[in-house]
Amino acid sequence: MVSHHPDTRLLNEHAAGALDLAPSVCVTLHLNYCEQCRRAHRQLRDLGAGLFDRLPPQAVSENLMDAVMARLDHEPEPLSYRATAAAEGCPPLVQRLMQRDYQDLDWRKIGSQVRICHLRTGDQDNEFALYHIRAGGRIPRHTHRGTELTLVLEGSFSDESGHYEAGDFLMRDGHNQHTPTATRDRDCICVGVLDAPVRFTDWRFRAANPFLRLNAC
Amino acid sequence: MSGTAADNPGGKRDDEWSQCLELIGRARDRAAFARLFTHFAPLVKAFALGGSPLAASHSEELVQEVMIKVWQKASAFDARKASASTWIYTIARNCRTDLYRRLQKFDTPISADDIWPDMDTGDLFAAVQSNRDASRVRGLLGELPHEQAQILAKVYMEGKSHSEVAEELDLPLGTVKSRVRLAMNKLQLMVEK
Repeated sequence: MVSHHPDTRLLNEHAAGALDLAPSVCVTLHLNYCEQCRRAHRQLRDLGAGLFDRLPPQAVSENLMDAVMARLDHEPEPLSYRATAAAEGCPPLVQRLMQRDYQDLDWRKIGSQVRICHLRTGDQDNEFALYHIRAGGRIPRHTHRGTELTLVLEGSFSDESGHYEAGDFLMRDGHNQHTPTATRDRDCICVGVLDAPVRFTDWRFRAANPFLRLNAC
Repeated sequence: MSGTAADNPGGKRDDEWSQCLELIGRARDRAAFARLFTHFAPLVKAFALGGSPLAASHSEELVQEVMIKVWQKASAFDARKASASTWIYTIARNCRTDLYRRLQKFDTPISADDIWPDMDTGDLFAAVQSNRDASRVRGLLGELPHEQAQILAKVYMEGKSHSEVAEELDLPLGTVKSRVRLAMNKLQLMVEK
């Protein structure tokens, strides 16, 4: 049951196309799981359409209609929607970014319980990564220089302020310090989107802070 | 599909555009397309000009692209799920987003259609509810105070983030956020959050 949602600002910016690509992917993933936010999204799309209807019309060039009419018969029909067969438990959008199975990705270990894999979205300002936390494992206590969005894809985890399951969406910033810990019964896979590197507050990892870089690509 | 004329003032005209789309989808009707073009092309151009300067400099290219997509996809239009102008607005939004990324030489495997897949429900009850929401929003939009409407226009028509709007209007970010929340309340959107 999804119980953590993107806030009003994120839902509005997402629907309007005013949000960067990587955070937009994260919000779209949440919508896959959440009818309540899908309904909100439909409403916001209608809001956009209402504003569109009210725009002061701008005259187009005289020959534009003819130019378009002339092209109608020559344009190829659009490709039908790519209905990629989704691997179990993995949304098509994530599959598109991974282009292979979880186990075949280029994972990098952070300690013994966590591994991370950066995926290329084309967004140069935001890092998009998958986190795999072993059952019962934890991500070292950290805080944020910017904003961190998290979406749970599989399994579940808890931190100081709650418990999160598949589809749950979290936003954390510099005001929050947390230690995400996967539940004991199964591994947890999350999407994490960062606009600035995290800062470890756990003394064992603190030495790494000056070397942390945003891996946006 | 929609409610009475009283709660849906644009309903009648919108029916006309829905019929045009159906004629295009079913019969490849060029006269219907020309009517639709005459009404919507200037709106799409205004929308293109409102976007980033980069996309604005290609505004008529965007109009062409959007109107050709309308022609190609018309058979997928379903008046029970969305009004004609909502349907055309989403095509324009998606095309503008993709155009901007193309012009920026953004190398990405993701397209706007992936970010905003068809989220219409197959559930008829929910579709009716959705249509009711939509006509209510349109009706209430005209009643928003200028300071709220102005921010929504910047976010939706100009594609600006709340932070960008705050900077442009020289307002604290918190003020922009709270005006958006007030507008949501007034439009009776997402009030449960």
